[in-house]
Parts: sequence; structure tokens; C-alpha cells
Amino acid sequence: MKFGKRIKEQIQESLPEWRDKFLRYKELKNLISSPDPAEFIFIGLLNSEIEKFNAFFVEQEEDFIIHHKVLQYRIQRLVEKYGDNDDETFREEIGEIRKDIVNFHGEMVLLVSYSNINYTGLAKILKKYDRRSGGALRSPFVQKVLHQPFFKTDLVSRLVREWETTIDAVFPASNAEAERGYERSAAVSSAAAGEGIFRNTVAALVTMREMRRGSSTYSALSLPPVNLYDLDLVLQPIHIPSPILS
Amino acid sequence: MEARPVQRSGSMVLSNLTRTTTSIPSNPSTGEESFTRSDNTQFISKPLGQQTYHLLSSNNNGAVGHICSSTSSGFSTNLHYSSMASHERHGSSSNDTSWCHDSPHGGFLDFPEASHVEDGGIGSAFDDIQKPNDWHEWADHLITDEDPLLSTSWNDLLLNTSSHSDSKVQIPPQAHQTVQQQPSPSVELRPVGTTSSSSNNGTGKARMRWTPELHEAFVEAVNSLGGSERATPKGVLKIMKVDGLTIYHVKSHLQKYRTARYRPEPSENGSSEKKLTPLEHITSLDLKGGIGITEALRLQMEVQKQLHEQLEIQRNLQLRIEEQGKYLQMMFEKQNSGLEKGTASTSDTSAKSDQEDKKTDDSKELVSEETRNSQEPESSQAKRTKTR
Repeated sequence: MKFGKRIKEQIQESLPEWRDKFLRYKELKNLISSPDPAEFIFIGLLNSEIEKFNAFFVEQEEDFIIHHKVLQYRIQRLVEKYGDNDDETFREEIGEIRKDIVNFHGEMVLLVSYSNINYTGLAKILKKYDRRSGGALRSPFVQKVLHQPFFKTDLVSRLVREWETTIDAVFPASNAEAERGYERSAAVSSAAAGEGIFRNTVAALVTMREMRRGSSTYSALSLPPVNLYDLDLVLQPIHIPSPILS
Repeated sequence: MEARPVQRSGSMVLSNLTRTTTSIPSNPSTGEESFTRSDNTQFISKPLGQQTYHLLSSNNNGAVGHICSSTSSGFSTNLHYSSMASHERHGSSSNDTSWCHDSPHGGFLDFPEASHVEDGGIGSAFDDIQKPNDWHEWADHLITDEDPLLSTSWNDLLLNTSSHSDSKVQIPPQAHQTVQQQPSPSVELRPVGTTSSSSNNGTGKARMRWTPELHEAFVEAVNSLGGSERATPKGVLKIMKVDGLTIYHVKSHLQKYRTARYRPEPSENGSSEKKLTPLEHITSLDLKGGIGITEALRLQMEVQKQLHEQLEIQRNLQLRIEEQGKYLQMMFEKQNSGLEKGTASTSDTSAKSDQEDKKTDDSKELVSEETRNSQEPESSQAKRTKTR
């Protein structure tokens, strides 16, 4: 019950184009609860879901690869153009790039999160199926899933980490810039663009924490609770709207 | 749900099953993954999508290009077949073992064969690509009361799936789409998969899995042709000289590339958010407006980093859990099969039990192996050969 609710919330918080790409957990659960769930139907549905994940994931990944290069190029051009000049337009443009980097980073992380949520959902639904049917479908099926394109997130993770390193170079050394007026103009568009990603990210973190809090079926094979100590410190001074944190 | 004629269901099932028997070209085993398989699954006769994933060149983990397409539909139907067949056999071995033996792929539990578990790209035998466009429709096709009929069809099919061509011949063309196999080349010098082209013609896109290296090659080709506006897919394809890369791949990639260049913003997702009224969002969310943009960005970045880190941790845990489970299951089955054959696990035990049966005076000799040397050589020798 809990996962179903969580994934639903996660989907609601996710970027609009993504919303129909997630696992149809509830439908699958209903299928399992139905009087005579044929195994091949169940498996067929899972397969089609997996294909959906693969298609979406690979496409997003392609977009990311392209954008990755474009962003690098932009930074390079900017540095070449302005050299060491620290004038207004330079700061504006670098502010733009900064925002774009952060949002890009965020989107990639969300794709990794997408992959993980769907994997988790698959594993859970298989577990439910086995419980109901008395079979042992789960383990071999999961083995198969581990080799699916959508599960192999290494490339995206690598890009994520690259940008985490790069952003340090692009962020200002001090907070003095925060008080400059020119930031106001950037604030508007940035807030709007980043907000969706930001909310989504926070929602994903909360989902993860809640899911791993322990359940009635908690066992030796379950994941341990999430250690989000640092995150709580980060989020504390911010008033996050309650729907996300409930 | 509409009622569907059993026949049609049968053929659907048949065509579904073909996918399992799509031949797996032999892979030059480079110790890395070099699977080449493409599979095309269209459960309903509609314009098909041929889902093939080419992973070209290597990303960080040096994965070879490969095509992930799959027979998990095959896998699934094997499962179904197995579980149904085992019912028919009136409770023979457990489902687990019947999977193993019945699968035309020699058992998905043969892990060394079927799975090179490294990160970054493996065309496992059990990747599945199946694409019913609407699962309701799909489910309709499958729902039939004629279980015996179904299993019979599957029985027949599986018995005859010793060779790729056989299975293909059997399949009514109705819903069956092409199986096209392409090699998965590597831009970065990794020899990859075999090339074989199916006799059937597949229209439709084989999905390419791009990598930064491949993309760089793409960009170079585009630049050498005078830029993204001037370059043509054909020209780029020719310059890149990457096996398995089709003009469709290049075309769609070029399109994406052009869009990205001329609108260098975060992807659509980001920009669509921008269409929302910015002011409303700022006033409703203190966190961004109140603390300044740089700080907001920093915070956002921090949260994102946390999420990513947690995801990686979670993923590793999940992988470990599955590995453990897999290992335990294998051990369990080994144990089971050992017990079933009726052999004891140690030769000592068997020797002892034999001795007990024989009731000879010399039985004492074998009980203590340490004293064997001191026994009369001939008699102990005889004993040993008797009791194996």
C-alpha cells in the first residue's frame, strides 16, 4: 500500500512529460488481486512496461548527451569571449549558465531516480505476485531486469558527477553577488524552471526515505533506512510546502 | 473485454513465442558484452516498432556496443509454458527446475552464459522488448479459456525451436514482425557482435543508445560538413562509418542536435516549466525568492546531489540483495538436486552404508580410514573396489 501511494505522489511531482512513463503499479496490483490472474498476462504487462522504460530512458539519455556537449560548448565560448573581464554581461551570462547547469544536473538525477523507482516497483510487484501465486517468478525476472537499458544508469551518473565538479568552478567564490541587482532578472526565469525540478527532487528524496522506513514485510533482504542526516540540515531553514513533506 | 477467437489468440501467442527463439548470434566473447541481437516484438499487427538498442562504443565502464533486445517475452512464455506444463505433468519438479530445463536458451539460470554482469551494457539473453501498444488490447488477445489449447501450441513450438529457422517458418506472419540483427559496432575499437541480417524486412526504428564518444564523432562529422544546418544525415552517416548506425538514427539525432543548438536552454522539460507564471511561483515559494538566486541554486544543487548519492547507494544495495538471493537459490537447488539423485554428499557416508548392507567382518576397516594402511592390503583393496 505504501509504495503505491508513494509512487503516485512521485509521479504527481514529476515533470509533466514524464508522468505517463512510470510503472503502472496500481494496475498491476489490481491484476494480481483479480480472481484469476494469468501468469502470462502479468508477465506480458511487465514486459511492456519495461519496454516503455527502456524507450523513454534511452531517449532522455540521448538528449542529455547532446545537451551535455552544448553546455560545455557554451561555457567554453563564454570563457573565451570574456577572458578575465568581470563585467556585467559576463556575470549575467554566467548566471544563466549556472542555472542551466544546476537544472541540467537535476534532470539527470531525476532520470536516475526514475530508473530506480521503476525498478523498485517491479521488484515489489513481483514479490506480491509470488506471494499470491506461490511461485518464484521474482528472482529470475529481476535478474533479467538488471540487464535492461533503463536500469543501466552508469552513463547518466557519470555525467552527473562531472557536472558536480564543474559547477564548483562556475559558482562564485563569495556570496557578495547575491546582493547585486542584476540577479533579479535571472531570478524570475530561474525560479520557474528550477522549481519543478527542485520539487521533484525533494519529493524523490522523501519518497525514498519513506519507502525504506520499514514495513510489515521488512526482512533481511530489505533495504536499510535512508541516512539523510545531511539533507535534513540543508532543508531545515527552508519552508517546504507541506504536501511534499507529509 | 471483447471475446477473441481462440485461433487468433493462439497465433498471437505463437508470434510472441517466436521471439524467444530468435536466434542469438554467437558472440565473439571478448569477456565484455558483445551481444548482438535485435528483436522485434509486435504483439498486435500494427506498424511495428523494432526495438533494438545499440550501445556503441564505451562509456565509462568500457561496455562494448551492443544491442539490447530481448527475449524476455520468450522468457516469460517459457515460464508460462513451464508452469503450465508442470501442471500437466501432475506436479513434477518444482517450477524452478522446470524453467531451467525447458527453456530453449538452455536455462536462464545458467548465469555465466546469459549474463555478463557488468555495468554498462549487456545484451542479455533475457532483455525483453515487447511492445503491445495498449495493454488492455494485449490482454484481451491473450485471454482465452482454452488453456489446454494454448499450452499445446506452446508445447509444439518449444519442441520445435531447436533452430532459428524452424521457429520462423512456423510462425504465421500475421502479427509477427521482423527480427533484424545488426552488429553493434564500437567507435572505440572494440570488436563487437556478429553481423547477420534477417531475411525479413523490418521497417521501423531500431533504437540507438548513444554515448558521449559516439556523439563526439557525430559532431565532428557534422562540423566537417559545414555545420548542423548544412550537414545531411546521409553525409554524416558516411563520414562516421559506424557499423550498425543507420540513417534513421543519424536523422533523428541530427534533429535533436539542431534543436538543442538553436535553443540552448535546459531541455523541454525545463522550458515548459518556464511557461508557468513566474511571479506566482516566486511568491508561493519563499525558498527561492527570499534567499537570492545564487543561494537558491546552491541549495537546489545540494539537494540534487543528495538524491543522486542516495540513489547510488540504494542501487548498490539492491544489486547486492539480488546477488545474494541468486546465490542462495543456486545453492538451494544444488542441494535439492543432490538429494533427489539419492547420492549422499560424502563418499564416507556411501561407503559406510554399503558396508552396513554387506554385513561383512571387514566393514570395520573402512570406518576408520586412518587405519587403512595398517590393514592387510589385499582385503582392504577388495573392499574399496566393492564399495566404490
